Amino acid sequence: MVEGEVIERDLKYQLPTNGRVTAAKHQDNGANGGNRRLKDEEFDRYSRQMIVPGMGKEGQLRLINSRVLIIGAGGLGCPAAQYVAGAGIGTIGIVDDDVVEASNLHRQVGHSTARIGMKKVNSLIQHLEDLNPLPTYVPYPYQLTPQNAADIISQYDLVMDCTDNPITRYLISDICVLLGKPLVSAAAVQKSGQLIVLNCPPTPQGLVDGKYAPCYRCCFRKPPPASSMVSCGEAGIMGPVVGMMGVAQAGEAIKILASALHIPPEADTNNNSPERNLQQPTLLIYTYDLDSAVGLYSFRALKMGGRKRNCFACGENSTLTLEGIKAGVPDYVQFCSVPTSSVNLPPEERITAAAYHMAKESGELSEHILIDTREKEHFSFGSIEGAVNTPFSKFLMKAAAIKRDGSPASEILPAEAGESDTPIFVVCRTGIDSQETVEKLKELGLDNGGKRRIVDVMGGMKAWKEEVDPAFPYI
Amino acid sequence: MSPKPPPGHFNILYFATAGSYTSKNVEALPAPLPLKKLFDTLEERYKGIQASVLDHSLVTINLVYVDVDYAGSGNAEEVVIEEGDEVAIIPPVSSG
Repeated sequence: MVEGEVIERDLKYQLPTNGRVTAAKHQDNGANGGNRRLKDEEFDRYSRQMIVPGMGKEGQLRLINSRVLIIGAGGLGCPAAQYVAGAGIGTIGIVDDDVVEASNLHRQVGHSTARIGMKKVNSLIQHLEDLNPLPTYVPYPYQLTPQNAADIISQYDLVMDCTDNPITRYLISDICVLLGKPLVSAAAVQKSGQLIVLNCPPTPQGLVDGKYAPCYRCCFRKPPPASSMVSCGEAGIMGPVVGMMGVAQAGEAIKILASALHIPPEADTNNNSPERNLQQPTLLIYTYDLDSAVGLYSFRALKMGGRKRNCFACGENSTLTLEGIKAGVPDYVQFCSVPTSSVNLPPEERITAAAYHMAKESGELSEHILIDTREKEHFSFGSIEGAVNTPFSKFLMKAAAIKRDGSPASEILPAEAGESDTPIFVVCRTGIDSQETVEKLKELGLDNGGKRRIVDVMGGMKAWKEEVDPAFPYI
Repeated sequence: MSPKPPPGHFNILYFATAGSYTSKNVEALPAPLPLKKLFDTLEERYKGIQASVLDHSLVTINLVYVDVDYAGSGNAEEVVIEEGDEVAIIPPVSSG
């Protein structure tokens, strides 16, 4: 293809609009490779990727003329930003309100020990400027909110979701639908990672007769209950897992922009064949198993469906608007905090960590059993003397099995508990699981009709560290 | 693909929180099974899994997304999980 044709096609192209796409008025929509000479410094720097088949000068100029917004400067955002910056994307915006902590550094490779305490956005941009001074870096050292999201996102050609919570994920996806922005979305926790390209090529909200690319809501209709959502801070994360997803995310963003995959082949008003525009969306799943080498389940590429007719955001009867979002409709916080079975234990079934310690030390509390429901990795760093470890996940499984098979309820208790009326105390990490454990034990009748006390240690090992033992190795 | 399930069975893979909930990565379940009965079957084996995991998860059969229909578009009515199929339960992951 000669360059003249490319430019002509680009000029003809206009983002499809249904009247609700208000902010897509870029002079340059990122498809325009332009026809200028590369500067010497660009020529040297990008030479190794420009000679890759399919890239060339045209692809490189498209990258240089593109604007990418990276939301989240953490485990995904750091590796993603490195490769996006290295590849020479012209403008890179980064949104994050957090500061660098030591516990970030095993995975957030764009920060450094010397920059602990610095805003992540500034720390990462410092790193990126070292790597490649040519792009323009735009810091947004605050949170993305329903109020500011459209204003920020409207200034970019492509969005990378590198965030760590469902509230922001749904917000980003909704804004991308309304503004017609492709979204490269990744996520990782503990030993699992996911990657999917959404809304690419962008299609106006409400068009459903045909195969159009899905949005985040088409794939994940509703968030998991708040209680089952775990953050990397709570559940942990292996550095290479989240790093792999971030790098793959950069790869997809570079591919989309260099090849203008987010632009429909033609601004086809007469030839309306949406199937041609659909990139078969694929959900890449990475499952990392600490117990085995690369195995059968390590990588999976799942074929996803297209846009859903009844999707809340992009479907045919969607009432989602930019104005509405700004005014607080929908309520993302409420949507993502589905009420869960909130346990409400009476005061006599709860004890503070300090009071438990006192009672134990004074001898007032003689014979009892203390069950620690943290996962065994947490338990391995330290525990209250005499505590028996029954990880909460195993506990729930066992409880379900007992209900199912009708096996004796006492099987769920550690051997130390015996059949007696010895009081049971339950402690967990932050005091949530322990309440549920107490509730479940009572449900199973293990309080022997009230003869045996089952008590929650309030606030978990976190409270124990704060109230009793400041040296306790709490994670 | 995964190890072949025994005759008369299909494999089901549990990703992310589905794996934590069941304490398994994979197991074989009796086939054939209509897709619309899948969640009931799992709920029977793992009490509470529907509300905690399945309701917000993706389901695939042989690596292809299937709509376990909630709103009644009719899709789930027809789909039957056959012997030798590979089903996957994929909950969303949010962190990063």
